[in-house]
Amino acid sequence: MKTYIKGLAVVGALSLAVSFAACSPANNDDPGDSGKLNLTVVGLLPGSTEEAYARLAEQVADFEKSNPDIKVTTVDYEWKATTFAADLAGGTLPDVFEIPFTDGKTLIANNQIANVNDLLAEFPYKGAFNEGVLQYGKGSDGQVYAIPAKSIYGVGLHYNRDLFTQAGLDPDQPPATWDEVRTAAKAISDATGVAGFCQMAQSNTGGWQITVDTYARGGRMETVDADGKATATLDNDATKASLEFLKELRWTDNSMGANFTYDWGSINQAFAAGQCGMYTSGQDVYVNLVDANGMSPDIYGLAMVPLEGADSGVLGGGTLAAISVNADDATKAAAVKWISYFYLGRYVDQAGAVAYTEIAVANGTPVGVPELPIFSDAALKDYQTWIEPYINVPVDQMTPFTSQIGSAKLVNEPPVSTQDVYAALDPVVQAVLTDQNADIDALLAEANVAAQREIDRAQS
Amino acid sequence: MKRSEQPVRDAATVSQTRLPERFKLWFRKGGLSALLFALPIIVVFGGFSWWPILRAMVMAFQDTNLIGDATWVGLDNFRWVLTDPDFPKALRNTGYFALLALIIGFPIPLIGAVLMSEVKKLRGLFSVLAYLPVVIPPVVSVLLWKFFYDGARTGVFNTLLGHIGLGPFPWLNDKHWAMPSLVLAATWAGAGATVIIYLAALISVPAELYEAAELDGAGIWRKIWHVTLPKLRGVLFITLILQIIATAQVFLEPYLFTGGGPNKATLTILLMIYNYAFGASLGADYGPATALSLMLAVFLAIFSLIYFRLTRGWSQ
Amino acid sequence: MKRSTKSSKPALERGIVSAYERRQTGTRISVGAINVFLFLFLMLACLGPMYLLIKFAITPTQDIIRTPLAMFPNGVEWSNLSRAWTEVRVSRYFMNTILIASGSWFFQLLVATTGGYVLSVLRPKYASILNALVICTLFVPSVVLLVPLYLTILNPPVINTSLVNTVWAVWLPAGASAFNVVIVTRFFDSLPREIFEAARVDGAGPFTLFWRVVLPMSKPILGVVSVFAFIAAWKDFLWPMLVLKDPMIQPLSVRLPAIQAQTELGVFLAALAISTAVPVVFFLVFQKLFLSGAGLGGALKG
Repeated sequence: MKTYIKGLAVVGALSLAVSFAACSPANNDDPGDSGKLNLTVVGLLPGSTEEAYARLAEQVADFEKSNPDIKVTTVDYEWKATTFAADLAGGTLPDVFEIPFTDGKTLIANNQIANVNDLLAEFPYKGAFNEGVLQYGKGSDGQVYAIPAKSIYGVGLHYNRDLFTQAGLDPDQPPATWDEVRTAAKAISDATGVAGFCQMAQSNTGGWQITVDTYARGGRMETVDADGKATATLDNDATKASLEFLKELRWTDNSMGANFTYDWGSINQAFAAGQCGMYTSGQDVYVNLVDANGMSPDIYGLAMVPLEGADSGVLGGGTLAAISVNADDATKAAAVKWISYFYLGRYVDQAGAVAYTEIAVANGTPVGVPELPIFSDAALKDYQTWIEPYINVPVDQMTPFTSQIGSAKLVNEPPVSTQDVYAALDPVVQAVLTDQNADIDALLAEANVAAQREIDRAQS
Repeated sequence: MKRSEQPVRDAATVSQTRLPERFKLWFRKGGLSALLFALPIIVVFGGFSWWPILRAMVMAFQDTNLIGDATWVGLDNFRWVLTDPDFPKALRNTGYFALLALIIGFPIPLIGAVLMSEVKKLRGLFSVLAYLPVVIPPVVSVLLWKFFYDGARTGVFNTLLGHIGLGPFPWLNDKHWAMPSLVLAATWAGAGATVIIYLAALISVPAELYEAAELDGAGIWRKIWHVTLPKLRGVLFITLILQIIATAQVFLEPYLFTGGGPNKATLTILLMIYNYAFGASLGADYGPATALSLMLAVFLAIFSLIYFRLTRGWSQ
Repeated sequence: MKRSTKSSKPALERGIVSAYERRQTGTRISVGAINVFLFLFLMLACLGPMYLLIKFAITPTQDIIRTPLAMFPNGVEWSNLSRAWTEVRVSRYFMNTILIASGSWFFQLLVATTGGYVLSVLRPKYASILNALVICTLFVPSVVLLVPLYLTILNPPVINTSLVNTVWAVWLPAGASAFNVVIVTRFFDSLPREIFEAARVDGAGPFTLFWRVVLPMSKPILGVVSVFAFIAAWKDFLWPMLVLKDPMIQPLSVRLPAIQAQTELGVFLAALAISTAVPVVFFLVFQKLFLSGAGLGGALKG
């Protein structure tokens, strides 16, 4: 009987462990400091250095000192297009999280992020954001839901100065027209055997980059009528011209190498390893190229994406800070304070700029990569003077871009169902790069139908 | 539960007086301990198998993104999936994958196992070699093969084949090459397990059958055809259907190798389900995802049923 | 178990080719040639890629890109391995993998043995219903469960707190393996009932019977289930990718594709090599168990 009881206890305990122990890890909403508001926010990328964590902790302590009623918890976070939806639905996001410009409209339409319109005046400069970037965070009702926070970029043409020299090209005279891009790509490919020009084609980046090319030739992927109803125009002439351009490079010149499965990360890796002469991507990828891929800064050059034809422009993007739709008013107010302090504080005063920059330096991250204004141009100029002593990127090699981007027209990404439009374009780009007989007109017509289907559903 | 009717109340009072007695009896007969032993299986299966299955049946008819309330939409999810221009492509690709996996992945292990069953001393070594790729984590083998499949002239496979004057081949960078490349890698990673299953079946073929065949004057080929293969039939039929069911749910290879490209040449049904539910579209289309899952499950169930009906006669 | 294989060994001594046929020169030569060919093929096809992986793991990145098949034209780069282990934090993901695999193994064994014991030995009244419900799930392909199981993990019944980003999200669903329950139940069924009766007469309760009699007699099947449970957990990709969002608790299989684009090629291939080494060593040590288990798996499926 004794063993019976003992065994009973063992099996019972095990069975209960199955059902109850499961709750314990999640139940750590320990109020701790009672009365304090607990705010969870996005912290650093996973795998950052100890020093960067220490600096972040300092910032948190500093923030908590001036806001004694708020307790901030930072969470390591890495945004990914393919997992964000699940994170959002799973409720695993912190109270304050980051989203790319492209997703703002969809999340607002889906009622998945909180309205902060009434709190706008609480932000630095009384919320006088650069209207060109603030509009990404606005809903169709004109209200503000998300705040431009960082990495405001225009797409640029990145080129390998080393390969340019090897091919007998002048690295200080990067191509300024698409024809010159083609000539340079051919020269690099012929002289060195590596791809002269590379193009992203996967995980929606193919659609993203062909949209860049389309904008640069004056085309658009969507038109929105007066009622806000969007129509897909993926089969416009500029997109066709962009695809014809790729087709020429790929099949006539054979100057694009042999791999066409690049996405944002892998094309950076290939470029850093010297396997690509040129490619287009956000102006801020320099950070990733040096930080994660060990690129030597000497080989790097940044130029404008060639702009041709009326209405042409540079595709722009960036990161918005958003607040969970489930946050109550007190949490929302605290979140606004944190966003102002953490993301925007550096544009307001020198102390904030220096604190932010020192974190970047501590984390070994390049400082001085070109930025576009979140507030006014004057505010950005001030900020750039404050961080000047810390600049560690080869600014001279970026002048072909920085000297011209200010006067270029920035064009927003397609406003409705952005990722779906990109997803519809991916296969078109892939087809052109992998199939010599790809019928561009037919592919675009098919993609247009697919995109319109998603747009209609999003707007119904 | 109110028991108001006369006869029932009698029964109730009777059982009430006897309840402690009956409980004691139940306890003494081991009722409680049996229940305790059953608890893990009930809790785990209940929570993570039965409940989700029931939920799938419901969700396929709902529109839900977990933020707002779920709403009933009838057959809309099914309609959305069936009118999706990707659906016929995914269907065709999944079928193509299954077919290629059958053509490449079925005879190779069979021939390998028959040959290995004739090896005397080193059979153990041969088995270990054949099984080795199976123990490599599939993610690792996919990432490794993806590197081997580099389309450039300096890619690993292209360099190797270049030595004998072949290539360079585009591998994953061509719509005709991509799927066979996926199947080849999948076969490499999985064939060893099938070899070992066949080998076990081959070894258990009674020697008397071969002796009897020899008495009838059968040569090696006739013995293989008339004794070995018929004896393997049961195992062959089972592994065949299991392979078809598994390949119909292929995800890892297209997801990691090509993301469904180029131009959707490797988009499979499961990749479509994944894209609906978790992919880049921010809608989190759980409804269409479950609807498609259910359709696939029902198709597989019907297919297996027909398959077993058809093969029942032959497999004895 | 052992005795039975020995006694049947004479029967195994011959295969398709008879001893008489073996003595014939033509047959002998072709059988020999086939064996040599088979051996070379297996070496090339099965060991070749792994040999390359090991070679790349210690080759400088630029050499891998430019001349993948040259033998160390610029020396050996041992630091690939150490950088993979520390900088890429393979050490951490490795421990995560072990933690996840061990827990999954434990829950699969717990559910399969206690469940099998109820269904096969204790057999309470509801056993037949329970059995039917478990068998039913055997015929539901895992794809059906993907989305609803994910949503269940987000909001489990009764507990109502998300299990996402906890190891329970992988451990508990792993336990719900009908296949394990069925093969363990079938094995328990084959154990001689008289032994149970004898134990009961000696005063053993259900727990003593389970712990002292049934489990020790079931070592072979438990070994097979254990090996497969552990390996399956080691290999799993899609499910942990969905429910373990926090990179700090992700296993290797989830982490490797994620870090690929941020990791130097040589270091990345070294990380792949390390992830392969453990299951391979595990396999070489327990090869008998693996191979008999694989064959048994086929036999049971049939």
